[in-house]
Amino acid sequence: MDEVFVTLTILIFSAIRLATPMIFAALGGMFSERSGVINIALEGLMLGGAFTAAVVTYELSNPYVGFLTALVAGALLASIFAVSVIKFEADQVVAGFGINILMLGVPALLSGAIYGAAGSTEQIAKEYLLPEFARLNVASMLAFALVPVCWYVLFKTPFGLRIRAVGENPEAADAAGVKVLRMRYLGVILSGVLAAAGGAYLAIGQSSFFTKGMSAGKGFIALAALILAKWRPFHVLGACLFFGFTEALAIQLQGAPWAKLPGGESIPVQFIEIIPYVLTIIVLAGFIGLSRAPKALGIPYRKEK
Amino acid sequence: MRIRKLLVTAAVAAIAVFSISCSSAGAIEDTDKIKVGIVFDIGGKNDRSFNAAAWEGVKRAEKELGIILRDVEPGNPTSIEPAMRAFAEKGFDLIIGVGFAQGPIMQRVAEDYPDINFAIIDGVIFEKDGKTPKSNVASLVFREHEGSYLVGMIAAEKSRSNVLGFIGGMNIGLIRRFAKGYEEGAKAVNPNARVIENYVGVTDHAWNNPGKGKELALAQMDSGADVIFTAAGNSGLGAFDAVEQAGRRPEGDPKAFVIGVDSNQNAEKPGFVLTSMVKRVDNAVFEAVKEVKEGRFKGGFHVFGLDKDGVAYALDEYNKPLIPEDVIKRVNEAKEKIISGEIVVTDAMAN
Repeated sequence: MDEVFVTLTILIFSAIRLATPMIFAALGGMFSERSGVINIALEGLMLGGAFTAAVVTYELSNPYVGFLTALVAGALLASIFAVSVIKFEADQVVAGFGINILMLGVPALLSGAIYGAAGSTEQIAKEYLLPEFARLNVASMLAFALVPVCWYVLFKTPFGLRIRAVGENPEAADAAGVKVLRMRYLGVILSGVLAAAGGAYLAIGQSSFFTKGMSAGKGFIALAALILAKWRPFHVLGACLFFGFTEALAIQLQGAPWAKLPGGESIPVQFIEIIPYVLTIIVLAGFIGLSRAPKALGIPYRKEK
Repeated sequence: MRIRKLLVTAAVAAIAVFSISCSSAGAIEDTDKIKVGIVFDIGGKNDRSFNAAAWEGVKRAEKELGIILRDVEPGNPTSIEPAMRAFAEKGFDLIIGVGFAQGPIMQRVAEDYPDINFAIIDGVIFEKDGKTPKSNVASLVFREHEGSYLVGMIAAEKSRSNVLGFIGGMNIGLIRRFAKGYEEGAKAVNPNARVIENYVGVTDHAWNNPGKGKELALAQMDSGADVIFTAAGNSGLGAFDAVEQAGRRPEGDPKAFVIGVDSNQNAEKPGFVLTSMVKRVDNAVFEAVKEVKEGRFKGGFHVFGLDKDGVAYALDEYNKPLIPEDVIKRVNEAKEKIISGEIVVTDAMAN
């Protein structure tokens, strides 16, 4: 019984660590999508934040400055995306992918210029990483704290109401005097800030450096979590923890003495690795029922003259 | 009409003359210095590990042998082949591919450019019959299992829990070779030692995912592992963070150690790195360049084992205090026995 308890504790902590970057990114995606802009660029925004955090923290030996700079970088990067899809009405999926591809290349280019190595930055000493308290990184705590804050902002403030209005029915919102485009800009930029926070955690919380493509698909999983959560903050937390848990489970299953096939051989690692994805498909297809997106999601808004 | 034809002819002639003059200019440069192009794998040249070692080798060749050196760090797997072909088109004297993943690509490119010398690290390239080694490709391979055996011995000597960890990048023959040698070395010292064997992933991401590497290391430590050997590129560095954050016991020893790979990683987290299974990719690459420079380049297998110091365990000022004298003595005895053939370490790739 004791052993089960210990294993469970280990699993939960591991799940929280793995879910943290996704919680940030999915909450960010929520603001963008609630305002009506599909944000497939979360992956790239995370990488931008991760790279900025790693470089600034290494150079200045201060993780908090690194973290804040990453948020600014995320906002700037998201602004590029926002201008292309809101002002110039570019296809949101294509433009988002453009950001993702851009962020595979730009950090490689810059790290090549700064550290003479395309793709990764110098390792940061432990003292200058985001600190941990009671086995939890401060960034994880921040992610958890942000969930009720985001809920409050989205459902209890005029700002949140406007964001939701422009994502559901921009014409009506416009008629009521809401500045549709401005709200969408804010939604997208906020998504950049939050996704970059998730990226910063990857580089200066969980790990101690940046390496090319280190988000390893977490931005896309965050997007899946957002859909699974039907664009609601507390559900986002649950969905991200679920994905974190499946990944933690896969990690614990690898080489665990009790995880054996009936014949006594260990389960092939390739099989264990697909567990999170299989569970995702089962949950998405079977349990959540109809997932209704904000009505105006993906449709550019042009004011009638 | 005739005027237009004339113009076209003139233009074609001009282009032809221009391109000839260009290529002759290139030829003059050729006689001066040999040109070496190196194509890294996805990890990039500063992975503080495998690619970094290859980079060190060519840099040394540039300094000591006076070569023209060009390098490419491909952003994704699809840009490897164009990079390699670009070097071949420009008539480079030696093209080096870093990593097993470039094997199939070099196979095709080397086929198309039989007069250019190629070298591949960790890969073997055959003629079309699948048996004879290709004559214009030097396959630089290492006996990683031998070096891993030695670090496995050190790990088992140091372990208090008799549980050891191994973190590989992908579950492939090359990486299983590290794991198997490590396990055999550990069991030679302590038959009760158990190795927890984990892999980061099943795609290219596996070499660039330090977060996952760290989680695996933490899971291994939770299962009692107190020495962890990584062979996972940048992902392995996550395990370095994990042991450092685990901290020290009250009497000052770290709670867990990590063993580095490919390059000497002892200085990454001083005091926490027990040793590194060094693969002298730098020496192998340097030798290949030197052979081309001296006109004695030969295709085929170039095998680097303990005998030629192609693989070794790293011992320097960072880890000397961590390994007792008598352990070093026993490890060196085992090394001699492996070289003489008295100890045979299983090569997981051979079967």
